[in-house]
Amino acid sequence: MTTARATLARQPRADLLSWITTTDHKRIGILYLTTSLVYFGVAGLLALAIRTQLARPANDFVGVHTYAQLFTLHGTAMIFLFVAPFALGLANFLLPLQIGAPDMAFPRLNATSYWMFLFGGLVIFAGAATNEGAAATGWTAYAPLSEIKISTGLGQDLWIVGVFIVSVATILTSINFITTVFVYRAPGMTMWRIPIFAWEMVATSLLIFMAFPALAADLLLLFVDRNFGGHAFDPAYGGSALLWQHLFWFFGHPEVYVMILPYFGVISEIIPVFSRKPIFGYTGIVLAAFAIAGLSMGVWAHHMFTTGAVDDPFFSFMSFLIAVPTGVKFFDWIATMWGGSISFETPMLFALGFLVNFLLGGITGVMIASPPIDFQAHQSYFIVAHMHYVLGGGSLFAIFAALFFWWPKMFGRKLREGLGAWSFWLLFIGFNVTFLPMHFMGLEGMPRRVYTYDATGVLPLLNAIATAGSYLMAIGVLVFLWNVVVSAFDRTPVGDDPWEANSLEWATTSPPPEYNFDRLPPIRSDRPVFDARHPERDPSAVR
Amino acid sequence: MGRSWWPQPVTTQASLMASNWLLFLCAGAVVALIIWGLVAFALLRWRRKRGAATTLPAQLRTNIALEITWTLVPLVLVCILFIYTYRAEAGVEALVPYPDVTVAVNAYRWGWSFGYRGGPTVQGSFSDVPQLVLPRNETTRIILTSSDVNHAFWVPAFLFKRDAIPGRITVFDLRPEKDGTYVGHCAEFCGYAHALMGFSVKVVPPADYARWLKSGPS
Ligand SMILES: [Cu+2]
Repeated sequence: MTTARATLARQPRADLLSWITTTDHKRIGILYLTTSLVYFGVAGLLALAIRTQLARPANDFVGVHTYAQLFTLHGTAMIFLFVAPFALGLANFLLPLQIGAPDMAFPRLNATSYWMFLFGGLVIFAGAATNEGAAATGWTAYAPLSEIKISTGLGQDLWIVGVFIVSVATILTSINFITTVFVYRAPGMTMWRIPIFAWEMVATSLLIFMAFPALAADLLLLFVDRNFGGHAFDPAYGGSALLWQHLFWFFGHPEVYVMILPYFGVISEIIPVFSRKPIFGYTGIVLAAFAIAGLSMGVWAHHMFTTGAVDDPFFSFMSFLIAVPTGVKFFDWIATMWGGSISFETPMLFALGFLVNFLLGGITGVMIASPPIDFQAHQSYFIVAHMHYVLGGGSLFAIFAALFFWWPKMFGRKLREGLGAWSFWLLFIGFNVTFLPMHFMGLEGMPRRVYTYDATGVLPLLNAIATAGSYLMAIGVLVFLWNVVVSAFDRTPVGDDPWEANSLEWATTSPPPEYNFDRLPPIRSDRPVFDARHPERDPSAVR
Repeated sequence: MGRSWWPQPVTTQASLMASNWLLFLCAGAVVALIIWGLVAFALLRWRRKRGAATTLPAQLRTNIALEITWTLVPLVLVCILFIYTYRAEAGVEALVPYPDVTVAVNAYRWGWSFGYRGGPTVQGSFSDVPQLVLPRNETTRIILTSSDVNHAFWVPAFLFKRDAIPGRITVFDLRPEKDGTYVGHCAEFCGYAHALMGFSVKVVPPADYARWLKSGPS
């Protein structure tokens, strides 16, 4: 069957021009994924420079001016150019396949989004080539620090313009995703049968649509202040030094879930496959995604407890509540494994790494949602540890899980399992050696965004350990890259469905033809490919 | 380290925060052990054995009673945590009607000035780190602002920080209970010398404080 269909599928053109002009969602997805991974590589090198500077106190690996640019570009690239766009790329590739559609709803808009994303990132980094260097106010760019009086360089303006372009591209993509899932589903693909990943992308897209305009407005105000004599954030002229933070975090907290919900989706796709069971509590997981999305619109000021200018108890309670739907997902994932037949291929290893790391990030998240704890932890290395457990130990591990899991569908060959396990263990151990000590640094009184620290006490030891861990992570990434290279020479065809998976993308060839499906299997549950593999079972059975 | 990984509290307010921290630390540890334990158990118990017959496990999809339980139990847990948080924060942020000492703190790039009511104003930057002197067992009212960008007044030993925001005045009380000299930092990134924007806090017996206030900094 596979070979017959492979000959039917016309080979698409593969020259450079065809990639630049493509509107095929799969190619745009691969462009998005590749670009975001390149930005990840750059942001990772910046992180290594940061860790090298902090390896010992009063180090002079980089100067103080360079250091501020390093952490600004590292944070900006990881958040705006990697963790969020990787999810957009993955969804670009997967959404039409998972719902049985031939393409996205607006293919040309889709291509526009991608090129804007690529270009916006280049604009941000172009700041490094200007006289005063790149932006140096952190990825949060708090005004009035980022105002023209203090940050005089062109780099800050390029940062504003670049992030603005990326945010507009992201909004356009969210509209595309929502329309595609709501309008372009195949016959039989009812809303309660679409894969969890597609549901999580619907929730993510709604969040983008509500949150990113606040960021765009904030950036515009700052740009007007800097270039056209505005005073929105300048208290000397009646502006507000707090307004930036309100608008920024009104975007910024939902953004955290934009960087997490898609990866909850990835985990919810992978765990059932390697447990040989359906996802447990499908409805609960979907409702939990929307509960998280809704609540996350009302928690932004928990980033501002220490301003003394917000209603701390309200924002504290709303933040605590998010733990409930997140807990529901955790219990559903455990229940999915419960009584299953669990195997440990690389995607599953990374998914389990996600469970272990993300739990710690979630628990410290509840801690710092308590203002009396945040009064100590805020803007210290405890926060750095917390957010890296969420975005690094969580999202990054889900990203590697997704790469290993969908690689055969994208390229028709598997990444190697042995090397995959090596990169997992290097990254898992390296990650925890790097970021676990940062909790203690913060509680000991080390502020974030410093290029040196107290040479007495435990800070030098903890920092040296963290730096060693970051090098271990770098080796893990190199092993992954080596895996990409050597597996490219493997000629074993993987077939349509190498993992014995559930959702519709595994019903077509690997890689899929330009138009996605020659014919669709009947869709009678949320696992059409499982149903086709087990014709003896009733698709509507719940046991 | 030790001390539940959190500096020993040296102010009245810090004791409230330290017990709140201990509660969250214990609750977090219990939750982590339960969840990691369940994951580890599932992996060991139901790992696919090599060479075992590949029969499909029971395809269980839902269990409403179980799902309601693991929604409601965490809900109750976070409500309890919130009650403790609320009480602790109310205590930390409570202002006494008549503070014994009032100090106006101004943060700027990159230094601090401490203006004592009825006393001197002490100022210093990163090359000459200023010292804030406070009386033990008396309540000091801090009136905090900034003259350029956002900074934050942080004394890790007090387990407390508050942002210094230009155009805004924020007020809080500190009641130190132990003599000693403590390190203070700026905690909000404010530009290149942010890492060096420190100060120190010296807590002295009230009589010494009164003497110091009259004679001025030596
Ligand atoms: Cu400062």
